Amino acid sequence: MAFLQTVDLEQRAGAAVLLNRVNLAVERGEIFTVIGPTGAGKTTLLRLINLLDRPSAGDIYFDGEKITGSSGDVVQVRRRMAMVFQKPAVFNSTVYENVAYPLKVRGYHEKTDRTRVYGLLDTIGLGGYAKRKAKTLSGGEAQRVALARAVVSKPDLLLLDEPTANLDPGTVKMIERLVMDFNRERGLTVIMSTHDMQQAQRVAGRVGVLMNGRLVQVGRPGDVFFSPGNARIAGFVGMRNLLKGHIVHSKSGIVVVDVDGRDIEAVSDLPAGAAVEIFIRPEDVVLSKLTSDSSARNDLRCIIRSLSSNGPLCTVIVDCGFPLEVLITDRSAVELELSQGQEMYASFKASAVRVLPSMQG
Amino acid sequence: MKTLLINRIRRISIPIVITCLLLGAILAGCAPAAPQPAATENASDQVTAFPIIPGTPRFKIATTTSLYDTGLWNYLEPMFEKKAGVKLDIVYAGTGVALEYGRRGDVDAVVVHDPAAEAKFIADGYGINKRSFAFNHFLIAGPAADPAGIKDLTPEQAFKKIYDAGMLDPDKVKFISRGDNSGTHSKEKLIWQAAGLKYEDVQKSGPWYIEAGKGMGPCLLMASEQGSYILADISTFLAFKSKVNVAPLVEKGDLFLNVYDVIEINPEKVKTAKMLPTAKAFTNWLMSDEVQDLIAGYGVAEYGRPLFNPLKGGGCAEAGCPKLEDYTVPVQ
Amino acid sequence: MQEIWRALVQAVNLIISLDTEVVQISLRSLYISASSIIIAALFCVPIGSLIHFHDFRGKRVVINVIQTFYSLPTVVVGLLVFLFISRSGPLGGLELLFTPAAIIIGQVILIMPMLTGMTIGALRGVDKTIRDTALSSGAGTAQAIRAILFEARFAVVGVLILGFGRAISEVGAALMLGGNIRGYTRVLTTAISLETQRGDLVLSLALGIILIGIAMVVSVIMNILLQRY
Repeated sequence: MAFLQTVDLEQRAGAAVLLNRVNLAVERGEIFTVIGPTGAGKTTLLRLINLLDRPSAGDIYFDGEKITGSSGDVVQVRRRMAMVFQKPAVFNSTVYENVAYPLKVRGYHEKTDRTRVYGLLDTIGLGGYAKRKAKTLSGGEAQRVALARAVVSKPDLLLLDEPTANLDPGTVKMIERLVMDFNRERGLTVIMSTHDMQQAQRVAGRVGVLMNGRLVQVGRPGDVFFSPGNARIAGFVGMRNLLKGHIVHSKSGIVVVDVDGRDIEAVSDLPAGAAVEIFIRPEDVVLSKLTSDSSARNDLRCIIRSLSSNGPLCTVIVDCGFPLEVLITDRSAVELELSQGQEMYASFKASAVRVLPSMQG
Repeated sequence: MKTLLINRIRRISIPIVITCLLLGAILAGCAPAAPQPAATENASDQVTAFPIIPGTPRFKIATTTSLYDTGLWNYLEPMFEKKAGVKLDIVYAGTGVALEYGRRGDVDAVVVHDPAAEAKFIADGYGINKRSFAFNHFLIAGPAADPAGIKDLTPEQAFKKIYDAGMLDPDKVKFISRGDNSGTHSKEKLIWQAAGLKYEDVQKSGPWYIEAGKGMGPCLLMASEQGSYILADISTFLAFKSKVNVAPLVEKGDLFLNVYDVIEINPEKVKTAKMLPTAKAFTNWLMSDEVQDLIAGYGVAEYGRPLFNPLKGGGCAEAGCPKLEDYTVPVQ
Repeated sequence: MQEIWRALVQAVNLIISLDTEVVQISLRSLYISASSIIIAALFCVPIGSLIHFHDFRGKRVVINVIQTFYSLPTVVVGLLVFLFISRSGPLGGLELLFTPAAIIIGQVILIMPMLTGMTIGALRGVDKTIRDTALSSGAGTAQAIRAILFEARFAVVGVLILGFGRAISEVGAALMLGGNIRGYTRVLTTAISLETQRGDLVLSLALGIILIGIAMVVSVIMNILLQRY
């Protein structure tokens, strides 16, 4: 049995199903992120694990013992965990008192308290802040305090619910680094939820995708990122250019997919005739003025419909008979002298095209 | 490091000190009072005491508002407390409520001035050993202009005239009644009866008759404001004279006699009445020379005439005055 | 209008000269109402906290009922308590009528609904995340309630000040239960009612001013103490 395991966990609120037979297994010492769009049930799941709410059905096992159901002391179980919430929550007292709170409720000795708390304050970069009123902190500082407060009691499991939502990039980085440090140095098991795929990639050992209350895919970030289980996951993890079509020809792993009358070559084992959804990463498409003579098997004539620049990159929407979103550097855009209405060639490798069987219904 | 500890101590000590002070105050209130007679000044009474652990025994009487408002008790109270070695608690209310306190046994004696109600009270067995200790008179006061023309009539005649004039022109002639079953109110009803009118008829007869439902003082104020006639006892009238604009119009009449009586609560009927010996001592003390002399002089300095008349030495010589034994024979 | 000015002058005189009777009456008012608020708070703050903290069926109904009793008429409370503690009532043997304890009982009953209901209101004002934070930090129920109360301390103290104000300024129950006995159960409000009845409006106003002054001082002290935290 895994360190933290849920079995057919369900949560209902009236007629709505918030979590649907979730089977989660988190190993000791790993950082596991739960990703999913807003409303997927991430907060619900974490609150159930932390025993803040009761599940409608199913069980949770922690370190081999069942913690759901009326048996056992809820408070004792909670004392082995800690949670950081999305909204930085601090008590209306000093920073020191905030961080020391979990020790206070456990009745620890004041001397050991002090060293630990001050040490932690240094670690999170708020060394001189002990006497400051916590309410005067910025969001980022408050969240760091919340994090320190969570780890001060040396829990076995740390839960974080979108801890960096709405924080500035500097603080986001800092908190991610702190979480990883705590995980590595203390062997602290971490379950973190986020809607930011990039964050999951940076931080997680494994990722679980939660959509509409269902755990639809679990794996290493790379797996999920590059091989999403279905189109919806694909859309969530940033896959653009989802196109529908059907396979007209298949031979030795190479298929030809008919999409709105145009042929696209892709790599897949699916048979001819299968209805499929394909997607292409915008950054895998190359634009050129002339037919490209690269090894790319797909080379389509298109017309530029729109250009928009975001930072160092430029998003170009082209019409090749079907819409295609292309991501190139700003510099390339300038060099190619791109403009609306211009005719270009869009080329991409067969291996850049992901093919999935079509989701019926 | 040290500063943190000091802060902690400081933070904890303030609420502890406050709690201790408050608890101390409450508990001090609980401490039984010394059983010796109270030091005469009322002001040096302990601020409060909790009765569950009684200290000095407390002797409670109920009296009427009009008697209370004259301030006579402020003099009598410390005298009795010193003499009897008890605490004298005086509550005041209209005659009806005062007698009710008696019936419930919440007080051990009542001091009232309503012969009819007293008779019933005693007949029902609630009261015993009634004695009288003072008397004065009622009067009819009203606007100096006297629109109803009642000056120097008899009480009954005056009332009849007010009734007739008021029915005719309620804006010009009005009458304010206590309307609260007090001793004064009872006397008023008697006078209406003597005037040949049924009280229920008078009550409903018209807007000239105003039932105030207030104490004697507030009613006098009201009469002053509205230019109405009013029946008042001489003591309250004198006490309020400087504050109101009413003139005494009818001062003589047998019906105006107002006798103050003290009645002890009968412990046979009212099981919860206590302190009968103290009540008896109280009754006898009211009839004593000491008190009678005080009453004779009370109010002279301030109002030019006494507010009450003692019964001692046969001071009351008109019809309706109490019999000799009612104001001289001590209670055994 | 003149009366108000004269009342102010008299109030100042009474305070400066430390008129014995006024001092005695004022201390008694303070003592009785302070006892009332302490006793009521000892019950109502924990009960209010528990009601707020737990979810149960009929919670809303309970809170509504509590709020209905905010405006208990003081004479009604006075009358009901009187019937109980009168010597001929069920609790007559305790000899409570016409004592300061009776006034305290009346005032406690009067302010209990308000204290309970508004404690719940004060706690509602605390962010729900505080409760979660306390619980996930390992607090037990009592510890979590204490944490929430601490967060709401300003509002809770405000509620206490309000309760104290209502207790010290009510007259109906104090009169009926205490009897306004000179030197024993006379408090500022009953003294004011007596002086009004006697026609001494200036003295009544003066006592009223002193009453307001006391309430103000208590409120200021409570707030100063709170700031320290």
